[in-house]
Amino acid sequence: MDARMARLIETMPRGSEPEGMPEKATRFVYTLVWGVARIFSVIALAIAWEALARSGVFTPFQLPALSAVLERIWTDAVSGDLWINTALTLYRALVAFAICAIGGVVIGMAMSRNQFVHWFFDPIVSIGFPMPKIAFLPVVILWLGVYDVSKITIIVIDAIFPVIAATVIAIQGVERELIWSARNMGASNRELLHQVILPAALPQIMTGMQVALPLSLIVAVVAEMLMGGYGLGGAMMTASRFANSTSVFAGILEIAVIGYALVKAMALIRRRLLIWHQEVTWQAFVP
Amino acid sequence: MRQSFIRYLPLVLLAIAWEVIARLELVSATALPPLSDVLTSGIDMIKDGELVSNGASSLYRAGVGLALAILIGGLLGIAMAWWKPVDMLLAPIVEIFYPLPKSALIPVTVIWLGFGDGSKILLIFLGCMLPVTIGAFNGARSSEQVLVWSARSMGASRLRMLWDVVVPSAMPELLNGIRTALALSFILLVSSELIVAQKGFGYLIGALGANGSYDAMYAVVLTVAFLGFAADRIYLRIAKWTLAWRD
Amino acid sequence: MAVAAQIVIDRVNHLYRPPRGREVLALDQVSLEVANREFVALLGPSGCGKSTLLYLIGGFLPVETGAILIDGQKIVGPGPDRGIVFQHFALFPWKTVRGNILYGLERLGIPKEEREKRSTDFIDLVGLTGFEDSYPSQLSGGMKQRTALARTLAFDPKILLMDEPFGALDAQTRSLMQSELLRIWQRTPKTVIFVTHDVQEAVFLADRVAVMSARPGRIKTIVNTKFDKNEPDIFKNKFFVEKVDEIWNVVKEEAIKAQGKRA
Repeated sequence: MDARMARLIETMPRGSEPEGMPEKATRFVYTLVWGVARIFSVIALAIAWEALARSGVFTPFQLPALSAVLERIWTDAVSGDLWINTALTLYRALVAFAICAIGGVVIGMAMSRNQFVHWFFDPIVSIGFPMPKIAFLPVVILWLGVYDVSKITIIVIDAIFPVIAATVIAIQGVERELIWSARNMGASNRELLHQVILPAALPQIMTGMQVALPLSLIVAVVAEMLMGGYGLGGAMMTASRFANSTSVFAGILEIAVIGYALVKAMALIRRRLLIWHQEVTWQAFVP
Repeated sequence: MRQSFIRYLPLVLLAIAWEVIARLELVSATALPPLSDVLTSGIDMIKDGELVSNGASSLYRAGVGLALAILIGGLLGIAMAWWKPVDMLLAPIVEIFYPLPKSALIPVTVIWLGFGDGSKILLIFLGCMLPVTIGAFNGARSSEQVLVWSARSMGASRLRMLWDVVVPSAMPELLNGIRTALALSFILLVSSELIVAQKGFGYLIGALGANGSYDAMYAVVLTVAFLGFAADRIYLRIAKWTLAWRD
Repeated sequence: MAVAAQIVIDRVNHLYRPPRGREVLALDQVSLEVANREFVALLGPSGCGKSTLLYLIGGFLPVETGAILIDGQKIVGPGPDRGIVFQHFALFPWKTVRGNILYGLERLGIPKEEREKRSTDFIDLVGLTGFEDSYPSQLSGGMKQRTALARTLAFDPKILLMDEPFGALDAQTRSLMQSELLRIWQRTPKTVIFVTHDVQEAVFLADRVAVMSARPGRIKTIVNTKFDKNEPDIFKNKFFVEKVDEIWNVVKEEAIKAQGKRA
């Protein structure tokens, strides 16, 4: 509720304070307008792609027509290949993400509460963060072979960092007065952790997870590209080796759609879990 | 100084543990060669030039791609923040490409430009442009209204205002976007070189692995990882210095 | 015939140890006695340690030098006998108004029916009927503070600690809340220790005003402000204004000192 609304409400006699109605209505209109604009621009982009492809500026090899790419996706869907590859990539990405989510929060919590754990992990997290951890993939393969385990492991190595960092910052940032209020009302240490600290830290922890999810997808795809076999990444690499550019573009489209769907799903989950949270209002780019 | 030592002590202990575990062959010798062997292989590779020449290749690709991304991405972001029509045109494109994993573009860049430098530079350019554009956009948008108004009241032309007011206040967010792009450039570089290259760090790692020279492979892996970390730290220094100078 | 004071603060010092930099003496040999159901205001310039004293009484900071006794017993940490209300409300943002109020009652193990009844009663008392299921982010500042007040009153602490509770509110809401608080206190009297830097607020609400010096905080003087305040234009009443002046002259010295130290 913005300051203007708040002041308006305060000057009104009690008992006739309006609910946040006007605010909800404007928000709905905003979302509607932006949604329409987005669909419009997707369509515009699609038309531009098709026109450009047909114009002859690029060869069909360099830029296959959108129609050809969609047809390819359709064929793959009918034959079942699309589903198998998608399911595999999603399986690897999501299993790894689950490990990151749980493991990351646990490690982050342990780091916040225990001096020794914090001392031990802090340099690892601090130095590990800006490293291109994908470089460790060959080492992981060396240790764990060429199957799903290695793929999942490298994803975890990459994506667990944002979760740990977000958890540590979130827990350290919990308002002192919240903790004191809870203690004031007789909360024990355990109750304090579960009933106050974790809920208070949740928004930021969720943000960390929202970074980790698309990251899990990217690393899954890259690992598949390197290691071949089934999965969206592997299929794309195979297509590129056979100079099948239509399939390569199809792969990009598929991964884009899945990436978008995952990000949207996370945003929805966030909205439901954090319905109470005062969201920072307008960001031009909602990832 | 002493505080730094204590802070990074766990890494020293891990290094010692590595050496001990490897020497005692608690883990198979192939999977985990002793740290000392890794270091000596590394030094050997520097001496015979393999590490340096491949490294130069990699850094060249990343450097060019990143430079282009910063330049064009930054200009685009500021343009989008400053001129409404540009924003309306480009914003949806940016929104659509934001959730796309840039690594998915690796096969496409290969199809277009082959195995060499070109595909890597293109990949890094495309991938790193987005964070810079978004950083520049958000930064320019947030430049305080008050500053803009006072500049305008002093008779500054729109272009002048852009240079004197908007760009400086956009700096923090822009610099942050560039930091993200920097990390991303390393990731895209290593990924693409691991998969499709004939020289560079990633290629070297793959070749050494296929060859069975695991201690050398470890050496290159550690080199790349460390370079990524060092680049970030050096960048932070530069960024801090830039901001201080501006103020 | 002397009745033992409910709260006894006996020569308390407090050293503030910042993560970086030197230690600072925040409180210096502070002594104060508060009787049962008395309303005492702690008044002083910024940085004088009045909030720190409040936190010590509340048990949120450890008493290292000196002693604080409640009903003759040394305090050992926070507890529901001393309810606290913070300036920035400290409401649990993930709980509704009712949820916030219920929290303390749940911790105390009060049975469900009783809990529901009590929370409804207090929501009524502070005038938030109709907003039980709203989240703090949907409330105005005044409403949040009323929720915070209801939350603390609900578990019936015998002592109420208030840390500049109306400081974050705008002037109109603040004056409304002051009257509210007085009304509630007159209905369910408790011991109240009220921290503020606003002299008029202190004189209006309190039976006694303890003026603190600039850092390191000491109790400089205690002024009796217990008189009938139930007239409509009390702030313009001659006696009231004299009291405010008297206290303000003491505070002014300290405020200037505090400014000097900051610069």
